[in-house]
Amino acid sequence: MDKVERLLKLTATLLHTARPLTAEELRERVQGYPERDDAFHRAFERDKQALRDMGIPISVEPIPFRDPPAEGYRIHPGDYRLPDPGLEPDELAALNLALSAVRVEGVEGVEALWKLGGQVGGGAEHVAELPSEPALIPLFGAVVECRPVTFAYRSGERVRTRTIDPYRLDFQLGHWYVLGRDHARDEQRRFRVDRIVGPVDVGDPDSFERLPPSDDELARPWDYGDEDLVEVRLLVDAEQAGWARRYLGPDVATEERADGSVVFTVPVRNWPPFRSFVLTFLDHAVVLGPPACRAAMVEWLHQLADVAS
Amino acid sequence: MTRLSATSRLRRLLALIPWVIAQRDGAPVEEVCRRFGLSRDALERELNLLWMVGVYPYTPHELIDWEIDADDRLHIYLADWFKRPLRLTPDQALALVVTGRSLASVPGADPDGALARGIAKVASVLQIDPATVEVDLGEAEDTTLELLRTAVSERRKVELRYYSYGRDVHTRRVVDPWRLFARSGQWYLEGYCEQSGARRTFRVDRIDAAGLLDEPIGQPPPEDPVPSFAPDPTAPRVVLELRPGARWVIDEYPVEEYVELGGGAVRVRLAVTARAWFERLLLRLGPDARVVEVPDDLADAGAKAAQRILARYAES
Repeated sequence: MDKVERLLKLTATLLHTARPLTAEELRERVQGYPERDDAFHRAFERDKQALRDMGIPISVEPIPFRDPPAEGYRIHPGDYRLPDPGLEPDELAALNLALSAVRVEGVEGVEALWKLGGQVGGGAEHVAELPSEPALIPLFGAVVECRPVTFAYRSGERVRTRTIDPYRLDFQLGHWYVLGRDHARDEQRRFRVDRIVGPVDVGDPDSFERLPPSDDELARPWDYGDEDLVEVRLLVDAEQAGWARRYLGPDVATEERADGSVVFTVPVRNWPPFRSFVLTFLDHAVVLGPPACRAAMVEWLHQLADVAS
Repeated sequence: MTRLSATSRLRRLLALIPWVIAQRDGAPVEEVCRRFGLSRDALERELNLLWMVGVYPYTPHELIDWEIDADDRLHIYLADWFKRPLRLTPDQALALVVTGRSLASVPGADPDGALARGIAKVASVLQIDPATVEVDLGEAEDTTLELLRTAVSERRKVELRYYSYGRDVHTRRVVDPWRLFARSGQWYLEGYCEQSGARRTFRVDRIDAAGLLDEPIGQPPPEDPVPSFAPDPTAPRVVLELRPGARWVIDEYPVEEYVELGGGAVRVRLAVTARAWFERLLLRLGPDARVVEVPDDLADAGAKAAQRILARYAES
């Protein structure tokens, strides 16, 4: 018998029953299982796993009034069913186009479409692919249901445990971030999802009120830090000034010189990431001030320049 | 039709049955095939599985029944327990919301369009606030992206002033634009570049200026998919030893091999696609990196670059 047929029968039986059924009862009611006991149990375990992997919620419950006590299986229809979103044909077609244009790595969008009414219209050109991280799905569930999460987080060389109330997931500059209130610091923080190490522990639903995230603009790496804010003046040559202006924003371009070069005045709280940023311009940018930052850059460069010569 | 696993076929059937039941007066067979990606033969084979599906004690009125009527419409009866589709799994819900939010962030998206309405409806039955996910596919000037999108759809040439980051030079190019796509937080334009006489990929945020030309494109877009970013197999390789503070290199760069050296230090192997790229890497790493293996012509790359920059500091 086709395996699909047996899985369909098992699903129908588990959905239809008003009380939990034991494995033996299911063996009797669902045709297509092997005769031998051990082979039946192996096949039944595999089927249960296959249905659960599809997202079918099989619950395991004690069978009432049974002596000796035993556990049985059923599917509660309310857990199984997708409420009808009432999509209009054009809306379904738009979702279809969108799912073929944007892919989340490792997630099969077509099955979501089947559930919503099938594929309508042609597929679109593949426009974007977003990476997926193991922690992403549990974090998404936690954001939606307002569950606190605890995870190990790698920052530099250290791995520390953090507990946060997650408010939002952001995809920016090629990385996923989770934004939320850090319990230990009692303030909003942003964490890179690919730096979460190991599993995410998820707490109880409705544990917090989701607040609008406070920083809507993505902070640059040199905005994070506990050092005093320093206004660094950076001269960028004419050729690179356009790109620098797009990246840093027009607000910090404080002086345009006759040769087309531009001076940017950038607030910096964390020097090493800003130093890295300046160095990506190679010899097309110079730190003008303050003197301590200029000296730090010159000293850094000397360490490299003096090795070979 | 591609061969699907048993569970994929089951998923499709569990979605197909409720859709057919929801259609008044049956569903046109052709329409069912189109929506669910089945040939007519394949559909009938799947439906034949249903004949014996029912619930205990399998009296005839407990069995699913189906027929295709004279108007070629499919009817499915007595499948009440499959009347609604299976709820979306969390990853499917995430895919839908991310997709919707991604396209909403693209310039020119209609905030009240069919996609926005569809996402809002799905999010509402799933009790998800779509604002819990924010997606920015890439940093690029909206005007440049719009111009390139127009050029791709109207199949017109564009003229670009482009900064080649790897070689650290600005050039002027005329390009047949083929497609725009986003990867890893950046928008890219793929097309045929007249100056290099070959297919090229341009990062949109490095386009300093773009102009739409009246001339139609000369080379049609090829059928093959978006190029991959795997490093050129013939590019030279370098081996670096990194102190613990430089472990970010493993996250940020396509590291081909890495060996833990204890205490957080690590040895990595990387492909060097261009000299300027390697210079920047060494400049950023500074004393946190030691070059262990390098081709002769790149041996002094870090020192030479640092000396060039220091010369700028000496003059201003």
